[in-house]
Amino acid sequence: MMKESEAHTEKDAAGMKNHFSFQKYAWAQFRKNKPAFYSYRILIFLVALAILAPFIATDQPLYCKYKGVHMFPAFSPSNNCEVKDPQTGKVENIQYDIADWKRMDAENIVFAPVPYTPQKTDIDNSGYVAPGDKQFFTTKNGEQVELPARFRHWLGTNKGGEDVLSGLINGTRVSLSIGILSMGIASVMGLLLGAMAGYFGDKKLQTTRGAFWTFMIGIVFAWYYGFSVRSYAIADGFATSSAAMIGQLLLSVFIFALVAFLFLLLGRLAGKIPFLSRRVFIPVDSIVSRSIEILMSMPILILIISIAAIAKEKSILNIMVIIGLTGWTPIARLTRAEFLRVSNLEYIQAAKSMGFKEFRIIFKHALPNAIAPALVAIAFGVASAILIESSLSFLGVGVPPSTVTWGSLLNGGREQFSAWWLVIFPGLAIFITVTIYNLLGEGLRDALDPRLKR
Amino acid sequence: MLRYILKRILLFIPTLIIITLLGFIISINAPGDPVERMVSAAQSGGEIGTQSVSQVQDKIFWRKKLGLDLPVFYFSLTSLSRPDTLYRIYDRSEREALDRLISRYGNWEQIQQYEKDLVSFYNSLIAFTPDSSQLQQYNKNTIREHMNWLKSESLTLRSSYEENIIAAKLNKISGILSQYPFLASFRPAFSQVKNDYENIKSTASAWKNYIPRLAFYKTQNQYHRWLFGDGEFSQGLIRLDFGTSYTTKQPVSDVIFSRIGWSMFFAMLSVLLAYLISIPLGVKAAAKRGSRFDKYSSLILFMLYSMPSFWLATLLLMTFANTDVLHWLPASGVKPPMGYPDEAGFFDKVRLSLPYLILPAICYTYSSFAFLSRTMRVSMIDTIGLDYIRTARAKGLPEDKVIWKHAFRNSLLPIITVFANIFPAAIGGSVIIESIFTIPGMGYETFLGIQNNNYPMIIAVFTITGFLTLVGYLVSDVLYALVDPRISYK
Repeated sequence: MMKESEAHTEKDAAGMKNHFSFQKYAWAQFRKNKPAFYSYRILIFLVALAILAPFIATDQPLYCKYKGVHMFPAFSPSNNCEVKDPQTGKVENIQYDIADWKRMDAENIVFAPVPYTPQKTDIDNSGYVAPGDKQFFTTKNGEQVELPARFRHWLGTNKGGEDVLSGLINGTRVSLSIGILSMGIASVMGLLLGAMAGYFGDKKLQTTRGAFWTFMIGIVFAWYYGFSVRSYAIADGFATSSAAMIGQLLLSVFIFALVAFLFLLLGRLAGKIPFLSRRVFIPVDSIVSRSIEILMSMPILILIISIAAIAKEKSILNIMVIIGLTGWTPIARLTRAEFLRVSNLEYIQAAKSMGFKEFRIIFKHALPNAIAPALVAIAFGVASAILIESSLSFLGVGVPPSTVTWGSLLNGGREQFSAWWLVIFPGLAIFITVTIYNLLGEGLRDALDPRLKR
Repeated sequence: MLRYILKRILLFIPTLIIITLLGFIISINAPGDPVERMVSAAQSGGEIGTQSVSQVQDKIFWRKKLGLDLPVFYFSLTSLSRPDTLYRIYDRSEREALDRLISRYGNWEQIQQYEKDLVSFYNSLIAFTPDSSQLQQYNKNTIREHMNWLKSESLTLRSSYEENIIAAKLNKISGILSQYPFLASFRPAFSQVKNDYENIKSTASAWKNYIPRLAFYKTQNQYHRWLFGDGEFSQGLIRLDFGTSYTTKQPVSDVIFSRIGWSMFFAMLSVLLAYLISIPLGVKAAAKRGSRFDKYSSLILFMLYSMPSFWLATLLLMTFANTDVLHWLPASGVKPPMGYPDEAGFFDKVRLSLPYLILPAICYTYSSFAFLSRTMRVSMIDTIGLDYIRTARAKGLPEDKVIWKHAFRNSLLPIITVFANIFPAAIGGSVIIESIFTIPGMGYETFLGIQNNNYPMIIAVFTITGFLTLVGYLVSDVLYALVDPRISYK
């Protein structure tokens, strides 16, 4: 007896120690995949670079002591500082963004690792200076000397004398945020629609005739009060600032949701009327599948280009949103297929029989088991979003000239083929980032779905 | 099978309608007034308000020809305060100003009166010619200066909608009018305008804006006309008339049909080349799975797959079409800059064009070929793992025969399905490659269209590409059924 129970506890302890968790297993599998794991590390490095870019590549010094005043221009939220000369008593106003830091008589000055801001000309080194060329610097006295190594343009300059390395580092922000924002939109849409289509199918989501039609009419009203009535308010918001734009849009979405919700409540009442109380099925699956088919047969690149071209305010944000709104189809397709499989499993049946709310079953029980293929699709989606964005900025479509991206840097090299550094380095940056995401996608696929492993 | 194809073609219709709708929505939201641009590009300059009669007639003609004098769609969701006929006001900014006035005050009748009186006031300014007594009394330049001033103020008043701006302009005009007696004849008309404006403000009924209303326009609308034509200026999309180019004023379909050849040529060539290279490569890699060849080819293909096509194109141009490095190949175009010589036969033309085609062909091909090879390899590995291949090996068949005779055919199936993906990608992706190599195809034309806001062109390319994509899907489904007897469409 004793022995048996001992054995039992031992077994249990061993079970606890090797407690099998799918996350752990997948992570171990992922680590084994060398290329994917290294990509993961490079990605972390790139994210850090993107976050720190304003402090790594800027011509504003990190720290400066000038006439006894301590300044931290790169970190400071304000843009100017008044310096009083202790001897003459003259007050000097230093504007951080236009001050000529490199020629300042500072007692102590610490520059950023790359002491240049993108899109700021270095007159001494304008007109395509190669990384290996002699680079110049005009001192305060007007003498032209060779640029000290600390201030070298390590990756050369472009036509206007803008530092390429600084542009590359700041371009990391654009590329990574494209991936995050556009695929964020795409994954929310894709997961939601795919889950609904797979879980409900055509014959599971039912409502009353009255509720259905009331809601349909409600959508029209919601659109009217949210967007039609407010169209000029939104347009003016777009014209003033991005904060106003987002504010107006959020207000419109709020009104839309509110009106739609009111009609939803109204629909419940309408569903009690005899003729309108007949049950009807909402063919969720058909609607979602048809939409996927239609969107997939569209020339997405041309669609994105034409929408980006009609936008009044050229902004990278537009492109991110468009890529997100058109890029959800693969995620939705894969999620739908997974949900078709998962929703017939016993544990979901059990959850249903226990009377859980459908919302809870979908998001808490089914989604964790169905998300793996979607993750893979998201990783590949990020790669293609970055490719699309860089192609657009390469063509100069829809991206404002004030934004430095890898694509726009590369475009500068098209005018002058002898400026190889303008073609090689930004191209390499795009290539490496895209490769990383593709490798991550492959790694995730192998790690999350052992059946697919080849 | 035939029934299946017919059914699929019927299913094309909703998709095509949505594609055309999207294209249409994009084109009507395009910034700028095309008519303004088309007419003023031809004749510009002159004094304010001195639009010549021919210019005005030109504008009316082009508006009619482009169908811009029609309502946008079969119906519109509008408010109780808005009239059905607002689209008849030609000038975009004027129309917007009126619409914004409605959205603030909601009383169209008063606003209409205001606009009517304002226009007649403006027209009386235009019609004004100083008589001899006035010319004696005042300097000719003073008269002209003040008239121009008045004209420009009242013209901009017609497209103003903000309360303080309108008030400022009204004040300014009445200030100018009170300066000189020779302007006295305009005062009554102007005080009418002012009264109208006050009237708008006093009888405002903004609540009307919050009551939705559906307005129906029947078939007299821009979308219907764009699809089916009006029998006068436009044949409609269904008769392959894509409208008029805003830049050259040529029919868009003429431009498209003269350009589509090169795009199709490159798309076909790239698909053909990609299949020719990738199938043997994928099969070989799969047959020697795990070997050095497999590893390296996988690596290279993976890198090619991630390579941005515009980067590769620029790198190739930089290396092989650069006078400083290797000037082996020309950088742009598809034929010699002088054109072909007159006596050149077909083969001469091919020989002359060949150097121009090499670099674009590489750029068109490499990404689809990388994708195809990877697909081929995976599908071949799957097939080799099946039982019947083991049986074939157990029989003692030579490995070559096992691979090429038994496994090869079955592993071709997934390769066929991706045809549907590759073909449209070759056309859609051509915007970038064609612009880099200045190939006179649809992609380059789209790029030019974007630069010049030539929306009929962009939308035409969008619609055609969407259609070809649908055809690509159909063809690959049919091919799939032909190759795989297990699949039958019923």
